[in-house]
Amino acid sequence: MKLTRREFAVGMTTAIASMTLPRLALAQSPLVVPTYGGLWAKFWEEKLLPGLTTATGIQPQLDVGLGKDFVAKIRAGGGRSPYSIFMGNENIAAVLRAEGFFEPFDLAKVPNAAKTFPQFVNKDANGIRAIVSPIGLAYRTDLVKTAPTSWHDLWENPEFKGKTGLYQIGNTGAVLFLRLVAELFGSGPDDFDTAFAKIKELLPFTQASWSGEVATALIRGDAIIAPVDWTEIMTLQDKGAPVAIIAPKEGVLAFEQSFNLVGTGAEKDAAHAYLNYILDAKVQQDMAKAFYTSPSNSESPVDDAMKARTPIVGPRMAEIKSYDWDSYVDKAADIADRWNREMA
Amino acid sequence: MSAVEAAPRVEGRSNRGTATWMVVPALVLLIGFFALPYLTIITMSLREASTRAVYGEGFTLAHYTTALGDFYIWGILGRTLLIGATVTVISLLLGYPVAYHLAKSRSRWTSLLYIFVLSPLLVGLVVRTFAWMIILSNNGVANQALKATGLIDFPLQLMNNSLGVTIALTHVFLPFIILPLLGNLQAISPDLAMASRSLGASRMRTFWKVTLPLSMPGIQAGTILVFVLSISAYVTPAMLGGTGGRTMSVLVVQYLVDNFRWPAGAALAIIMAAVAVIFVGLYLRLTARAMRRLP
Repeated sequence: MKLTRREFAVGMTTAIASMTLPRLALAQSPLVVPTYGGLWAKFWEEKLLPGLTTATGIQPQLDVGLGKDFVAKIRAGGGRSPYSIFMGNENIAAVLRAEGFFEPFDLAKVPNAAKTFPQFVNKDANGIRAIVSPIGLAYRTDLVKTAPTSWHDLWENPEFKGKTGLYQIGNTGAVLFLRLVAELFGSGPDDFDTAFAKIKELLPFTQASWSGEVATALIRGDAIIAPVDWTEIMTLQDKGAPVAIIAPKEGVLAFEQSFNLVGTGAEKDAAHAYLNYILDAKVQQDMAKAFYTSPSNSESPVDDAMKARTPIVGPRMAEIKSYDWDSYVDKAADIADRWNREMA
Repeated sequence: MSAVEAAPRVEGRSNRGTATWMVVPALVLLIGFFALPYLTIITMSLREASTRAVYGEGFTLAHYTTALGDFYIWGILGRTLLIGATVTVISLLLGYPVAYHLAKSRSRWTSLLYIFVLSPLLVGLVVRTFAWMIILSNNGVANQALKATGLIDFPLQLMNNSLGVTIALTHVFLPFIILPLLGNLQAISPDLAMASRSLGASRMRTFWKVTLPLSMPGIQAGTILVFVLSISAYVTPAMLGGTGGRTMSVLVVQYLVDNFRWPAGAALAIIMAAVAVIFVGLYLRLTARAMRRLP
């Protein structure tokens, strides 16, 4: 076929236009809602977003990925973020906050924030940790003779030597554990030298990139004890796996999903409405039932059946150890580097 | 010059013009999706680091000098290249006989063998890597089998190190060496081997002196493909390598995605790409020289 210059020009224009169209479509969508895959995406698609549309009239677009993917997209977006609201672990949100991408919520537009446990509302409403997945000590009930009761058991119970599973430093779970160990054995959550020394005592341990990998290590028996979130262990229990999870007496950690208003986003009112819906008592209860999170709304109904599976609810939310991440942002890269070099 | 004489020249010029225009879409694609991203990465690698912005104000070579002066990085780079070379050699040793058999076979079962060869590519990467975790873990199928036969008392460390990564990468990249080799071996005329045999050469001598040298282009293409894919693989080393089998691609992703250090991560990515280009270039020169010496 012989191509004339005109035909070629038309062809190229069409090709370039077709590449641009998704971006235009994105710009026209009312609100892009980021969430995680698996159970989360299923819940968002089937329940949360239809409920949001019914309650507010907003017709959002779902974007499934990891918190770090959302960070990359907001950073790459520069002055035009694809999201107006960010969801990610609080330590990851702190990075974008430090870089100036976020602005405070107008709490008048988020009435449910008043019912949220105060420890999850950041200073000046600069981020609200709306979804809380506590992390306890999970263990194999068939392979562990003495069930753990304390974080110290990881060091003191000889059964666990060489049989411990930990998150690798790229996962928020490892950073939380590092700060917990610094607090338990050192002068405070920033005593990283002590934390490194103590965690090195646990070597060799299995390192996992995410909770599903920790769960796999537990199921294989490569690890018989590991700090991991309730969501993962309850899901394993539902499948009949011989695993249990306890809340150590010193307190629990938690994956805290921090919602933040993106300054460079276009749909800020819709973002407020979305967060308000996420914080709704009934929605929090639905999430707890769907994937065993702990309701962050103090008025969220919690029945005995729920308490039996996710005990860190209501007044026990005070057992969650939350850390300040503002200053950690400056040290995060060096700490990750140090972990990689020393925890081998 | 008559009009009849001039016509072919005009036609030729027109064809050349059309051919030039036909290259433009590929060129636009290459510039848009290859050259520009690379330029962006190079620019990013020269940016100052910052924990209060995506990158700092000025430009610096510090990320390169820091990385190149760090034995830890050199160690990971060396491990990555070693894994790549090992996977390539093992893939060649395992893949050549299979490709040879497929090229020569006239059995009706050949198509089944094709499916076996391609089978590693028919399963999702994450699923396939999880399967290797089940096989290679301390309480996995391999260790259980070795224990059951009494060969070992304690589990062997088959994953969370270079060994696990090498095994899994060899499995997945085997088709990438078999297929180019197969095409090459099928193109070698059987008359050459028959002539060699008729002149008194043994089957083995015929293979070493005729078939193997003539299959060098296939070996070259397949080994480069497997080497490059192995050193740039991410999912398999990330899931099976642990801390003992960490490779450059895992480190780069950690810098870029986990630690949000875009400038330093970009510098590592450029170093990795440069090393790969140097190694592939050297290998091409060596193999090209070897091929020129062929009879």
